[in-house]
Amino acid sequence: MGGKRHMHDCGLSRSIGYFLEPLIILGLFGKKPLTITLKGITNDSKDPSVDTFRTTTLHMLKRFGVPIGDGLDLKIERRGAPPLGGGEILLQIPIVPNTLSAAHWIDEGMVKKIRGIAFSTKVSPQIVNRVIYAARGIFNSFIPDVHIFSDHRTNAAGGGSPGYGISLVAETTTGCLISADVAVSDRKADEMEEEMDEKPKLTPPEELGEQAASMLLEEIEQGGVVDSTHQGLLFILCALCPPDVSKVRVGKLTPYGIETLRNIRDFLGVTFDIKPDPNSGTVLLKCVGSGIKNLSRKIS
Amino acid sequence: MAKESGGNEQTHKAHRQHKSGASSKKGKKGKNKGGDGSGADQKKNPKAFAFTSSTKAKKLQSRTAEIEQRRLHMPVMDRSIGEPPPFVVVVQGPPQVGKSLLIKCLVKYYTKHNLPEVRGPITLVSGKHRRVQFVECPNDINGMIDAAKIADLALLLIDGSYGFEMETFEFLNIMQVHGFPKVMGVLTHLDGFKDVKKLRKTKQRLKHRFWAEIMHGAKLFYLSGLIHGKYVKREVHNLARFISVIKPTPLTWRMAHPYLLIDRFEDTTPPHRVLTDKKCDRNIILYGYLRGCNMKKGSKVHITGVGDFSLASMSSLADPCPLPSAAKKKGLRDKEKLFYAPMSGLGDLLYDKDAVYININDHFVQFSKTDGDNDMASTKGKDHDVGQVMVKNLQATKFSIDERLDQSFINIFGRTPPALALNYNDGENDERQIDIEDQNQGDDQELSEKKRAVVECDTDEDSNDNEVSEKEAGQARQSCELREKVEIGDGRIRRRAISSNFTDDVEEEEGDESSDDEDERVDNHEQLSDDSYYLEETDKDEDSEDEAVNSSKWKESLIARTLARRGVNLIQLVYGQPVSNQASAVSDSSESEQSDDEDFFKPKGQANKGIDDKSSFDDINAEDCSKFVKLELKDWHARDLIESIRDRFVTGDWSKAAKRGQDANDNGEEGDDEGAYDYIEDLETGEVYNGGVGADSHEEDKTGAGAEAEERRRKKLALRAKFDAEYNGSDQSDEEEKETENKSHGDKPKEGGFFDKLKEEMELRKQLNMMELNEMDEEIRVEVEGFRTGTYLRLEVHDVPYEMVEYFDPHHPLLVGGIGLGEENVGCMQATVKRHRWHKKVLKTRDPIIVSIGWRRFQTVPIYALEDQNGRHRMLKYTPEHMHCLAMFWGPLAPPKSGVLAVQSLSNNQATFRITATGYVQEFNHATKIMKKIKLVGYPYKIFKKTALIKDMFTSDLEIARFEGAAIRTVSGVRGQVKKAVKANLGNRPKKKGEKVKEGIARCTFEDRILMSDIVFLRAWTQVEIPQFYNPVTTSLQPRDQSWRGMKTTAELRRENNVPIPYNKDSVYKPIKRLPRKFNPLVIPPKLQKELPFKTKPKAPLKIKRPTLDQKRAVIMEPHEKKLLTLVQSLRTLHNEKKRKRELEKEKKRKANEKEKAKTEEVLKKRRREERKERYRREDKEQRRTRRKIEA
Repeated sequence: MGGKRHMHDCGLSRSIGYFLEPLIILGLFGKKPLTITLKGITNDSKDPSVDTFRTTTLHMLKRFGVPIGDGLDLKIERRGAPPLGGGEILLQIPIVPNTLSAAHWIDEGMVKKIRGIAFSTKVSPQIVNRVIYAARGIFNSFIPDVHIFSDHRTNAAGGGSPGYGISLVAETTTGCLISADVAVSDRKADEMEEEMDEKPKLTPPEELGEQAASMLLEEIEQGGVVDSTHQGLLFILCALCPPDVSKVRVGKLTPYGIETLRNIRDFLGVTFDIKPDPNSGTVLLKCVGSGIKNLSRKIS
Repeated sequence: MAKESGGNEQTHKAHRQHKSGASSKKGKKGKNKGGDGSGADQKKNPKAFAFTSSTKAKKLQSRTAEIEQRRLHMPVMDRSIGEPPPFVVVVQGPPQVGKSLLIKCLVKYYTKHNLPEVRGPITLVSGKHRRVQFVECPNDINGMIDAAKIADLALLLIDGSYGFEMETFEFLNIMQVHGFPKVMGVLTHLDGFKDVKKLRKTKQRLKHRFWAEIMHGAKLFYLSGLIHGKYVKREVHNLARFISVIKPTPLTWRMAHPYLLIDRFEDTTPPHRVLTDKKCDRNIILYGYLRGCNMKKGSKVHITGVGDFSLASMSSLADPCPLPSAAKKKGLRDKEKLFYAPMSGLGDLLYDKDAVYININDHFVQFSKTDGDNDMASTKGKDHDVGQVMVKNLQATKFSIDERLDQSFINIFGRTPPALALNYNDGENDERQIDIEDQNQGDDQELSEKKRAVVECDTDEDSNDNEVSEKEAGQARQSCELREKVEIGDGRIRRRAISSNFTDDVEEEEGDESSDDEDERVDNHEQLSDDSYYLEETDKDEDSEDEAVNSSKWKESLIARTLARRGVNLIQLVYGQPVSNQASAVSDSSESEQSDDEDFFKPKGQANKGIDDKSSFDDINAEDCSKFVKLELKDWHARDLIESIRDRFVTGDWSKAAKRGQDANDNGEEGDDEGAYDYIEDLETGEVYNGGVGADSHEEDKTGAGAEAEERRRKKLALRAKFDAEYNGSDQSDEEEKETENKSHGDKPKEGGFFDKLKEEMELRKQLNMMELNEMDEEIRVEVEGFRTGTYLRLEVHDVPYEMVEYFDPHHPLLVGGIGLGEENVGCMQATVKRHRWHKKVLKTRDPIIVSIGWRRFQTVPIYALEDQNGRHRMLKYTPEHMHCLAMFWGPLAPPKSGVLAVQSLSNNQATFRITATGYVQEFNHATKIMKKIKLVGYPYKIFKKTALIKDMFTSDLEIARFEGAAIRTVSGVRGQVKKAVKANLGNRPKKKGEKVKEGIARCTFEDRILMSDIVFLRAWTQVEIPQFYNPVTTSLQPRDQSWRGMKTTAELRRENNVPIPYNKDSVYKPIKRLPRKFNPLVIPPKLQKELPFKTKPKAPLKIKRPTLDQKRAVIMEPHEKKLLTLVQSLRTLHNEKKRKRELEKEKKRKANEKEKAKTEEVLKKRRREERKERYRREDKEQRRTRRKIEA
């Protein structure tokens, strides 16, 4: 696996974020560095958005010995909101030369700044500002260092259907990134047909901003070095490490995280030692990596 | 070599030395320097003149730097923790060189035992911290390969009176491929030399040959001779000392894979199954020390020579040959413990999972003949030894205890299933079984000790009996006790099992924890650690018997209470438990508690929903989505909410936040339960369990945390220093080596910052690993990390072919290797291989070879290739003679960089070198493309001007479509292109009506008109399929003396079936004759000549009619000249005359000689004919006689 100029249409049933998670791990253990263009829905209410992916997920790999910027990149060429999509991203993933490196990542630190991106496609650019304003309103009582970028897309870069959303990232003093994202758009085609009689109700921008901010605060409240969305990926990365002890701290285990833990045990034979930490209300997970090497890489 | 392999008729271009240019001068210059007297004078003290030019100095400097850098290699992380497994010493050598004798002598040296026969691995304790396992390497190639894969040290025995034999070199090559362990040569049979000088010379010669093979200064040991059929004691002693200082080298493959050298093998198939079907699949149990890396439960293994198997069960046993430091038992005599060799029938204790077998030699026990009160023996009426009877008695009691224990366990299970479930991560039945059995084993060990004690008192029959009865009574009492306690809980028994199996630090840990106590907070915090649970029981043990009963009651209630209240252990929650358990836990939590603390132990969202917990993550139909969307969000405008997470921001209280982090760290590192549950009050009895410091210690802890961290850091540093020292020490294990090193580099090579940093990082990582792992519970640790290296493992394998048991031969080392992730897949591998230079023939593509990669050996069909400059893999018919090439083959995948060893056949009667090729795996290639040249030949069918229709090149129009636009060429060199398939109307008409249009005629265009006699070529590449064939070598499934037969090569088949090699006359190479070309004179047509300008016109030379001056002039000699000429002429005539005569004489002589020769030839012919006649007659007679015999 690997190579350049790949292209894949992710369809319209799930957003690109759904495909990115496994792809990034597959790409790391490929034969050659991967460069792929993915088409479809970039921002969705169901799956993690590509913004979150760019700002948070890719930086997670840094902890496991994959350097950022060294061929690891995600570019949002076009945005696409459901139902029609039309987004396009360019993903670059390097390969690991031999193995990942085990992570000892338990210090969550304190939130020092909050960044974010609010986007809108094919709607009034004013909406973005309203979203940002509402989100800032909540953060004001916590921290002054809040900066949310706006990204308004029109024409081809805006995809096929109107929508708007926001992706927020809180960075802590120890460099942990905690993210939350929401997006709003028309219902998907099949759903729309079902509920034709009801007028689809969209969340107003102010409410959306507040919602996103509350979600981020809730993630922060829970603690852990990653947010709830990234638990699964974090566990997989830990399990793929060389046979050293990885130790990570997460907030409450999500169902998806638990499912991933089970899958890891079944497929990689890695069992985690899971201990709650009552003081901070977090969970500490320890595992010995499965020692997977990049076997497909060519030895010259 | 080249001639042998290439065939006789093929000659190679001779090497021609450069006669001009820089390189030719270079050599001469050097020679001159050496040859010159003056140069030699100058070189008397070369060091003094080393620095003559700056460039030279620079070169020298870079050279030394390079040498230094080459000496360094990437540090390898040693992840093994704890006691290392025994050091494997493989003794290898050609037959009759004295391998077994050497092992026997070494065993005698270490243990003072005489070993009757060397079978299988022999484990010895060689020092306080060191064990050695001796293995004799069998002489067939399979055994050698297996032995090379496990050796930590190879003793290569060499017959000094004979010299090196092929086996030694073969073994060395095998080791080089599969990771080169430490090697030491041992010269034997040196007593045959009468002449001291000759002996010395031989030693010298062999030593230097050995050095050439391994490295300069490699250790070669001399065993001078035999005394009373044994090697000299002093020399064996020296050899043992050498063995004891050698450290194993870290080898990549072995560090990444768990493996066991099987030292005990048992067939546990139910006998009735064997009785009904002798050839039924068997269940076997394999025992051995775990080496390499940790082995997790549920991993697959490869048994060499048999195949891949998944393990039915896997458990660790007590070390049968523990280090003296680890063994604290006083009951056994030290002499006997130092030794473990079950396959050789030695070693007296056999530990199994559920039993301990004692093997007592007769001369150690003084059996008395009197039967005494043993009715069992008397009823049988046989002469039974008392000891045997006693053992039987004891066994009988043991079983009863076992049964009782089992029963008692069942009781507990029945009563308090959730409590038990806490102990095991995984509540599967079989695992539980193992644990119980482990524990039984622990008891058994105890029993065995008792037995030993009994056996050892050989004083008096009566006293003996008394003791026995006493012991029995004691045991009975104990069992009663057990039973009583069992009602309370099984904790105590369990702990005992642990302590017998593992090192004491487990106990220590628990001891530490016992200082802490439990608290009322149990009610709030639902997690009650297993340790503390057991702890209380230890406390209780100190109480008197009746008190115990009382306390047991309160404890029961306490347990019940905690069980009812406790949330579920997180591991349990995630990885699942028996259904009943989980269900109860879940219902508990959903019913009773909704407190804030509570919901945090459950998956997020469950607490909020609070309706059906299970469905949220057990639902298969739930959408797969990593994002977790909460339905209700808190209102973050609320003041109290804001305050609650205020400290999570840099704008909040830093000290508070720091405290939170610190607490968390403390908890993380010290195992969460201590801080949380250090104070327990029992509500019923009002007893307060305060662990010494209790709650007050909390703050102390915090302040102490910094100091502790500091201490830890210091410890790390110290350990690192130690590690560094060790690392350097291992580099220079040999004294000689050290010396040479010191000589060569006066100062130690600077390893550079990078190197140091790497090592430091590794050491820190290791310390961290150890710290994290040590704080886990034993069972969780095994689950998380797997069994550690050095543990004695018992592997149960089911459904093994019966042949393995049938033909099991302890002389052959049996290796069980763990299979890594992705290594059980089968696929295509690309390896770089090189034909071994001692192998007589080049290898042919598609001739099956037997390949050893990783643990496996399999036969496969390789395709050899070379990479062209444009990256294309071009197939080769044969491997190059002295070059690496690619080999593509199908087989079970091995990770890149693993060594590949190829052998053509496994038979033993091969005189020559058996190793065919060596190399390493480069990559897996699923989309592999090996191309070979193909030349399509066609003939013109019809020629238009520059277009021609070509037939016979393609068979169908479809094929033509594939090749549209391809370049073609005629023999005469006219180039062209394939256009399209010819349509019916264009000159390609069916000859008769109704006949189909001929397919496969292509229209091609050329740069010039071609002739009908031209042949047209299309040169293309076609892909070669790699045969998807591999055949595991199953040498363990057949008698060892038979040679394994796999797929045959074409040559073998031809030989067997008498099929001649297909001969194509055109394929034979003939010497190319290049005649000198004759060019006709240039003729310019007269017409053209006329038109040419004068300058270029050919000018015919003018005819000269008169003779020239030279022709006209006459030459007249002087009288002196004339005289000279006549003299010369006369001399010449004289000489000619003489020559003629001599020739005549010669001719005559030759004729006479020939005549003589003919005569003798005649005589000889006659004699030969007579001889032949005689022989035929004799043979005929014999034949007739035999025929008659047969008929008779």
